[in-house]
Amino acid sequence: MLLDTAMRSRLDRLALRGKRRLRGVWAGSHRSVRLGESLDFADYREYHPGDDFRRIDYNLWARLGVVLVRLFEAEDEMPLQVVVDSSASMGFGDKFPTAQRLAAMVAYLGLASGERVRLVTVPAADRPSLQGPWARHVSAWPRVERWLEALEPAGGTDLPAAARLLAAPGGHRGPVVLVSDLLAPGWDNAVDVLGTICGGVVLHVLGPDELEPGLSGDLTLRDAETHRELRVSMGQAVMERYRTRATGFVAEAGRRARRAGMDHVLVTARPGAVEEALRAMVGKGWVR
Amino acid sequence: MSLLAPLGLALTALAVPLVVLYMLKSRRSGIEVSSIRLWEGEEEFVSSSLPWKRLEITAALLLQLLALALFALALARPFFHQATLLGPHTVLVVDTSGSMAQAGRIDAARQRLVELAAEASEDKLISIVQAGPQPRVLAAFSREAATLVDIVSAVDAGGGTADLEGAIRLARGLATPDRPTTMLILSDGGVEGTLTEPVVDARHLAFDAVDDNLAITGFGTGTVGEGTTRAFVEVTSYAGGPVTVPVAITVDGLDAGTVDIELAAGGRDRRLVPVDAGPGQVVEASLVAAPDGNPLDDTAALVLGGATELVVATTGEGSPFLDALLAATPGVVPPLGAPADIVVMDGGDASIVDRPAWVIRPETAPPGIDIVGRLDNPVITFTQPGEPLLDGLDLSAVAIAEADIVQAEGWVPIVAAGDVPLILLGDVAGHRVVYFAFDPVRSNLPVQVAFPVLGARLIDWLAGSRIGAEAIADAGVPIAVAPPAGATTVITTPSGETVTVADQVLEYARTEQPGIYRVSYLDAAGEPLGGVLATRRFVAAEAAATPRSIAVTEPEQQGLQDATIIREWAPLLLALLLALVLVEWWVAFGRPRPRRRAAVT
Repeated sequence: MLLDTAMRSRLDRLALRGKRRLRGVWAGSHRSVRLGESLDFADYREYHPGDDFRRIDYNLWARLGVVLVRLFEAEDEMPLQVVVDSSASMGFGDKFPTAQRLAAMVAYLGLASGERVRLVTVPAADRPSLQGPWARHVSAWPRVERWLEALEPAGGTDLPAAARLLAAPGGHRGPVVLVSDLLAPGWDNAVDVLGTICGGVVLHVLGPDELEPGLSGDLTLRDAETHRELRVSMGQAVMERYRTRATGFVAEAGRRARRAGMDHVLVTARPGAVEEALRAMVGKGWVR
Repeated sequence: MSLLAPLGLALTALAVPLVVLYMLKSRRSGIEVSSIRLWEGEEEFVSSSLPWKRLEITAALLLQLLALALFALALARPFFHQATLLGPHTVLVVDTSGSMAQAGRIDAARQRLVELAAEASEDKLISIVQAGPQPRVLAAFSREAATLVDIVSAVDAGGGTADLEGAIRLARGLATPDRPTTMLILSDGGVEGTLTEPVVDARHLAFDAVDDNLAITGFGTGTVGEGTTRAFVEVTSYAGGPVTVPVAITVDGLDAGTVDIELAAGGRDRRLVPVDAGPGQVVEASLVAAPDGNPLDDTAALVLGGATELVVATTGEGSPFLDALLAATPGVVPPLGAPADIVVMDGGDASIVDRPAWVIRPETAPPGIDIVGRLDNPVITFTQPGEPLLDGLDLSAVAIAEADIVQAEGWVPIVAAGDVPLILLGDVAGHRVVYFAFDPVRSNLPVQVAFPVLGARLIDWLAGSRIGAEAIADAGVPIAVAPPAGATTVITTPSGETVTVADQVLEYARTEQPGIYRVSYLDAAGEPLGGVLATRRFVAAEAAATPRSIAVTEPEQQGLQDATIIREWAPLLLALLLALVLVEWWVAFGRPRPRRRAAVT
């Protein structure tokens, strides 16, 4: 079980909130870029034959002598897509279980808010992207949970391909939540592309050992995804430089996400990570 | 510094493989990580097929080399020669007189004794003679350093004068024919005139520390006027300036007053202090907060006399033999108007017994005894085996003209003629009673050797627990021990220590400590049969004794001078090695490292 009852009860009391106007397919509760039938007044325009007489503002007609019709805001649903990185690099420590629970938390939050939600995995050269079905109601949660639980961390990562997939013309233009360690080439471009869709959040999952590795001695490091090897003699200076690079990598990810119109949340894979991530999303205005 | 086992240094050769280990490249171990992206730039591109690398001097290497060197050195057993005062056989004569308690002299002497005792070995035997009032051999020809250290650690100063001559004679008696014997005298010189001639083949280790001292040099009691008891106390100052010292008087441990005595430098003063004390009570004087170098002369105690007297009254006919017996028994006095402690009922009515009584063939027997007849010429055929009152007494020659035949249930016959008891012991109304079924006057018992002894023992038995006080004597003077027959002697020293004296011992000599010695005589059941309070006082001359050197003639024999002993460094080196290993372990594993801030989530 990815989310226990207490966590689901807590999420039931919260709601997902879009930060941009969006162009949905179906009517919903989020402000759309289009004009529509809601009760929120948007603008006036001149009357054209065929317009609904009920929208003519007779007061203005009497005062100004110009026939104007009232326009109203449209409200669309928010199609939410959660992209889960299931590459081999996520299989270290508690990273992938944490990523699964993060994705589950966001998906449940979307379903409980009445949004359409879809889960997608990051493709790789040797593996296509797995795309779950769109789900719209919280009753679909067991199906979504089973889908998430069936994922196993393996293979490489092609984050740009995942971004291109979601940004393809004709796709749903809703916010994207990317759950990944970003330890793959092209992560920066992928974030740029995902940001253009409709914004979203990057949940940056890293293990404690990746932020503060406890390695010593002469080692040959082997990359879990590319299988490349690197001979490194661990020492105080080497560890110091690694820490500098790791800190810089996290800072660069945050800067790049903000530039692309996304929010960045660093999640350390350890107990309580999901709760911390939820608090961060509340703080950044994605949840209310 | 020399080495006992130089071959041990060969162990330093292990330094070569140790350094080689540090120069060998370690085998790389492979480890899979999530990504090597963050490790880019740390790769070691330069590699060599040689298994060696440049030697890196680290703290761990230096510590390990140092530890190895220390271990090798310890194995080589380095040593040095240390001068010692000990010869093949050394007799240590330690002065434990009262003056040695001055200014920590005895502590310094004890420390020196411990150092010397620790050097005892197969080649250096040690004997120890304690030069107190009664010289005593504490150890003879011992090579056991630990035992000797234990013995000398218990040496302490007493309140008496050291018999240095006697101690030196005792030490001479310990001389060994096969080993040259020398003597070390640890003393402050003793009282002037103690040694008149130089001591041959001896060294004097002087302990001459001095300090200001105030001493009670006189203490006594007397009765004046209408029976008022006054304590007399004399205090002498050996301090450099005038001083006022309060003297506290206690009676049986309870405060009985304080008197301030002003003393000029080197002065002496006396005071009379009335005290409310009676016979048998312990009166003690002590200097309060005296600026003192010798704590032993700050207190003095005594036991008020009079408690030893036992009032014995005679009723009935009486006889010259009885009068002579009572007159000859120590501590027995006639009533002279005072109530009697014991009554001797010679004939008459003995039906009422209100105190311990010796009943001699009465007309009316005391309760518990029925006179049922008369027996002529009874012959003693039975004496109670093991009875202390009869211990060693020969009654076989006693001839008795006639005796009453009595029935006495609950009484213990100790002498009998067949089934007829002649002497019985019993209890009437809680009082001890001796019953004679015959009149000694009508027997030849009074002219037997056993009569006065038996009489004295019977008086003692009737008196029960009785504590007397003997005359005050100097510390070190033995206490005479005279227990009743079959009694055990237990002595409680002023420090509270309890000593059980062996049966055959007639005196107790360990009386160096000034104060009150309680001598108790106990029967087989542990019940007190009497005793003595003996007072041993600090010898005033010891308070005034100034350090002086003892004339000695140094040993002339070869080997007795400039003797040395071998001292090894190995224990010290091994201790250093252990410390070094701990430091090396700490450097390698336990050293605290700078903590980094955890990543922010």
